[in-house]
Amino acid sequence: MNNEPLLELTGINKSFGPVQALKDISLTLRANEIHGLLGGNGAGKTTLMNVLFGLYKPDSGLIKLRGQPVEINAPRDAIELGIGMVHQHFLQVNDFTVAENIVLGTRLPNRPTMDLSGAVEQITELSIRFGLEVNPKAPIAALPMGVRQRVEILKALYRGVEVLILDEPTTHLTPQEVEMLFQSLQLMVAEGMSVVFITHKLREVMAACHTISVLRDGQRMFTRPRDEVTEEMIVRNMVGGDIALEESLLFSEAPEDERTYDRQAQPVLDIQGMRIDGEATALVDSVSLAVRPGEILGIAGVAGNGQQEMVEGILGIRPIAAGAVLFDGQDVSGAATEHILGLGVAYVPQDRQQDGFLPKASIAQNLILGAQRQQPYSSRRGFMNWKAIYTSARSLIAEYSIRAQDPKEPAANLSGGNIQRAMLARAFSRPIRLLIAHNPTSGLDIPSVEFIYSRILDHRQQGGATLLLSENMDELVLLSDRIAVIYEGRIAGILDRSTFDAYEIGRLMSGANDDD
Amino acid sequence: MTNSQALRRESPAVGAARTLVPYVVAVLAAFAAVGILLALMGFDVMRAYATILGTSFRTPNGFVQTLIKWVPLVLQALAFTVPLAAGKFNIGGEGQMIVGGIGAAAVGITFSDLPLPLLLPLVMMAGMAFGALWVLGPAWLLYRFNINEILTTVLMNFVAFQLIDFVATSIWPDPAAGHPTTLPIGAGGKLPLLIAHPPLHSGILIAILAAILVYVYTDRTSAGYELLATGANPRASRVYGIKVRRMFFLSLLIGGALAGLAGAIEVSGVHGRLIEGFHSNFLLLGIIVGLIAKGNNAAVPFVALFIAILEVGASAMQRTMAIPGEMVFIVEALILIFVLLTDVVRRR
Amino acid sequence: MADTPLINFASLVMMAVVPYLLASQGTMLAGRTGLFIVSQEGVMLVGASVGFLGAYLFDSLAAGMVLAMLAGGLFGVALAYFTTNLKMDQFVIGLALFFLGLGLSSLLFKIVVGVTLQPPIIPTLDRLPIPLLSEIPVLGPILFDQNILVYLSILLSLFLYFFLYKTSTGLSLRAVGENPKAADSLGVSVTRWRYATTIIGSMLMGLAGAYLPMVYTGTYTDGIVRGRGWLAIALTFFGGWSPQGILLGSFFFALVEILALRVQVTDIGLPHQFLRMLPYLATILVMVFAFRRVRAPAFLGQNYDRESRTSS
Repeated sequence: MNNEPLLELTGINKSFGPVQALKDISLTLRANEIHGLLGGNGAGKTTLMNVLFGLYKPDSGLIKLRGQPVEINAPRDAIELGIGMVHQHFLQVNDFTVAENIVLGTRLPNRPTMDLSGAVEQITELSIRFGLEVNPKAPIAALPMGVRQRVEILKALYRGVEVLILDEPTTHLTPQEVEMLFQSLQLMVAEGMSVVFITHKLREVMAACHTISVLRDGQRMFTRPRDEVTEEMIVRNMVGGDIALEESLLFSEAPEDERTYDRQAQPVLDIQGMRIDGEATALVDSVSLAVRPGEILGIAGVAGNGQQEMVEGILGIRPIAAGAVLFDGQDVSGAATEHILGLGVAYVPQDRQQDGFLPKASIAQNLILGAQRQQPYSSRRGFMNWKAIYTSARSLIAEYSIRAQDPKEPAANLSGGNIQRAMLARAFSRPIRLLIAHNPTSGLDIPSVEFIYSRILDHRQQGGATLLLSENMDELVLLSDRIAVIYEGRIAGILDRSTFDAYEIGRLMSGANDDD
Repeated sequence: MTNSQALRRESPAVGAARTLVPYVVAVLAAFAAVGILLALMGFDVMRAYATILGTSFRTPNGFVQTLIKWVPLVLQALAFTVPLAAGKFNIGGEGQMIVGGIGAAAVGITFSDLPLPLLLPLVMMAGMAFGALWVLGPAWLLYRFNINEILTTVLMNFVAFQLIDFVATSIWPDPAAGHPTTLPIGAGGKLPLLIAHPPLHSGILIAILAAILVYVYTDRTSAGYELLATGANPRASRVYGIKVRRMFFLSLLIGGALAGLAGAIEVSGVHGRLIEGFHSNFLLLGIIVGLIAKGNNAAVPFVALFIAILEVGASAMQRTMAIPGEMVFIVEALILIFVLLTDVVRRR
Repeated sequence: MADTPLINFASLVMMAVVPYLLASQGTMLAGRTGLFIVSQEGVMLVGASVGFLGAYLFDSLAAGMVLAMLAGGLFGVALAYFTTNLKMDQFVIGLALFFLGLGLSSLLFKIVVGVTLQPPIIPTLDRLPIPLLSEIPVLGPILFDQNILVYLSILLSLFLYFFLYKTSTGLSLRAVGENPKAADSLGVSVTRWRYATTIIGSMLMGLAGAYLPMVYTGTYTDGIVRGRGWLAIALTFFGGWSPQGILLGSFFFALVEILALRVQVTDIGLPHQFLRMLPYLATILVMVFAFRRVRAPAFLGQNYDRESRTSS
């Protein structure tokens, strides 16, 4: 194997506002290697690669290609230098064919009409060479996700890249497709390319990569050849051994021995065999879960395994194809969302901008969304009581440390962390029996995270039930009484707090049980 | 944000001034731009602007003219802003006003013998009902098939132009009139005058009441809150239990009723009959008012008053100085564009 | 040559196709990059006014057409700047420009011509029979004995079809409206394409407006466009946002227009007003079907911001 560095990143720093996402990171890629980039949520993997691909401009740092410093200001520059990236969310034009998507933006001979035959030939050649089977003339919208991903890879290969970055490439793939992808990657590096494989799945990185780097909190923990690394070592470095946050929360507010609840009590939320249909397959299938008073039920899973659909099914936003949802023993399947929320359910959505937030409205107006017909915000006759709303908003702003002086301020001024505090304030501003929170701390700074954890634990202490869906393993382990793992719309397993094991959860999340 | 921190220490008066400043800037910029144009054309700019802004206040007649213009203007503006609150564009206020006028005239002519306490409310209600009816189709198509309401509402305007022509020439034509006009409505259907000289009809009270009711609805009731939430983020509103499609439908119907009311008032208070073309350009002015007010229903009546002043002044300017009245339309469109520009500047 | 009423009727339909065709192809072109123009009616009025005045002042219809296109182009520049650079709402600023056009068209006419009872008249556009082809029985007088803009607008439609679907440049253009982020990530400039198509599209709308005084009335009157700008938007949807669909659809729109005018002359017992409603009601009816069948460009009406990290 050739051991010359192909690409060197040195001292990369990048901040988003007050959050330093990358802290003086250096990374070296060699030809002929698949380089696994591992880390939890917010570790900086994707940010680092977006810098390399020219999507983000670094605050400082140096990029060298074959020993020569290079300037990358836009994806165009990266492509010209031979760096390609396959994003987790594909960037494809739905009503184009495979070939049209691949050649987009390149020059083609016109004689007199655009001549795709040369390109089709080249695409076919590439797909055979690297085992990336596609039909160049197929319309892309009709293709399964696995094939669409091959198109993304071919897009980069067609432009002759030497460094290929794959961001969580297995998210949309079946185990068989994952195997095929790994084989293709081996063929690429055998020809001298270098592949960066961003993931948080241990099994995959161990199976496919030659070199492994682990990132945590914007820093590189280590880079080692595959043979010198154990799974345990990776986990320890990904999770971190001494998190002050963990201690402060666990020991000051919810000591281990106090974590009991009545396991025989009637569940607040009882999901029985829920199925939700998508266009082709079931998005949620045979899901049965119960959340009891004083319990936090964590839902672990890779994004896009049916979590969002499941929540929307519970809340009546999405129709349920089969099964039932019971609230305090009453069947609420098929009821209107308004009714379900009125029973004492609060929802903190994952996509707070899209699903939870009224940017054009004031902070106070945001804080009553969903409760606008309840007293004291509204009189029995349906008149708003703005005085009560502002009074309540003012106290919520203070209690939840939302950075705003006046409830009449436009909500659009709030930062992400403050929006999330407002979401939580809204959720807890009225008596509730069930909290449904989906990735409640994603993208937040440490004080906000700690604050939100303490609120959720308070709710638990007071006997409330919580359904906590999260892609952050630390969060789930820290807060949950039980953790259910969801994989492709089904519950892959449920673990009790006494048997929590990050590795076992990760195994279930990656569909390991499917393989056996 | 340091900017908003500075804001917090201000007194309410300074805060109000801050909201007004962009408007003042926009108005001045629009006047300046058109002023240059007028000067290039050799007109006396100062005199032109004195006429535009002063006519409404110089004579009682001018003032009453302004109020009479204000009535359909504010109603048309609200017919636009109520659906706008839900994020929908009602560009069909013209047709809704015409058909509202037809409804008012139909009732006023058919039941012309009824006494005022009976006939007048009937005339007004007919106007609102017919106006709402005219937007029912587009609203239903939006509700049922998600069909773009901008096009359907605007196309219904052109249908209404033909309908009024038909009504005024074939159903209740007034043979003595040289222009498509219906017979007069019964005396009981006419709005009583508040002031006899110059004549000011009592429709202004109805418009004020309508403006207050709309404001109370959108800003003071939970149903109105749901309307605003729908417009601010339909997806989030749906997640939190608001039936957004129903909101779209309802908001268009209310808009239609308001525009229809404008038509009824014009028929009953100004003309006493239905005259083709009575809708004038109130729809366009109403949309401009609504957009300048940025959909704020508390601001709509005041913006409408300002535009009414400009309109009355523009007619005077055309009469006395031979400056085309369209000049003021340019001013209004420019004010709107400059108001939008100040938004951009503030965002940065 | 038999100048039968039917041939005459078909010939009138061909003539009426032009304004719809030009304005809709302009709408389609910009829409294909994601920019939804709604100021057609205003831009066409300006085109009618400027086109008439240009032809009147320079004594040349060609000069009128060029000026009308320039005036339309200015509206395109404004719309592109306000939406791509300043990120203003496409509908709101589109409406504002519609108002501006409405006022400007009437104002310009009054400034130049003054307020007269007897407005000046320009000669209307001559027929330009194509040698040999126009001699073909029936089809000749319908298709090949028309004014130059009939030929040009149909050729333009064919060219646009070729350009959009058969060239790599057209591929890039379509990608911008379908997924600007994908296009941008491959080096296709969203801003540049939106400027280009909006300006060209608005120029076509200006020309569409100029056609009306030059072919029908010989002079400018307020409201001369009579909703054709709005109908053009509907036609664009009806034509499935494709040049060939719009070309076919424009015959339908023109047919309905001429039918409504014709039938009212020959008394069929229905009041003529109801026939005049026909084009608008037919359009609404057509939209019920078109809107469900047709997929508009995915990013139609949405501004693009590269820095935004939320959308995917």
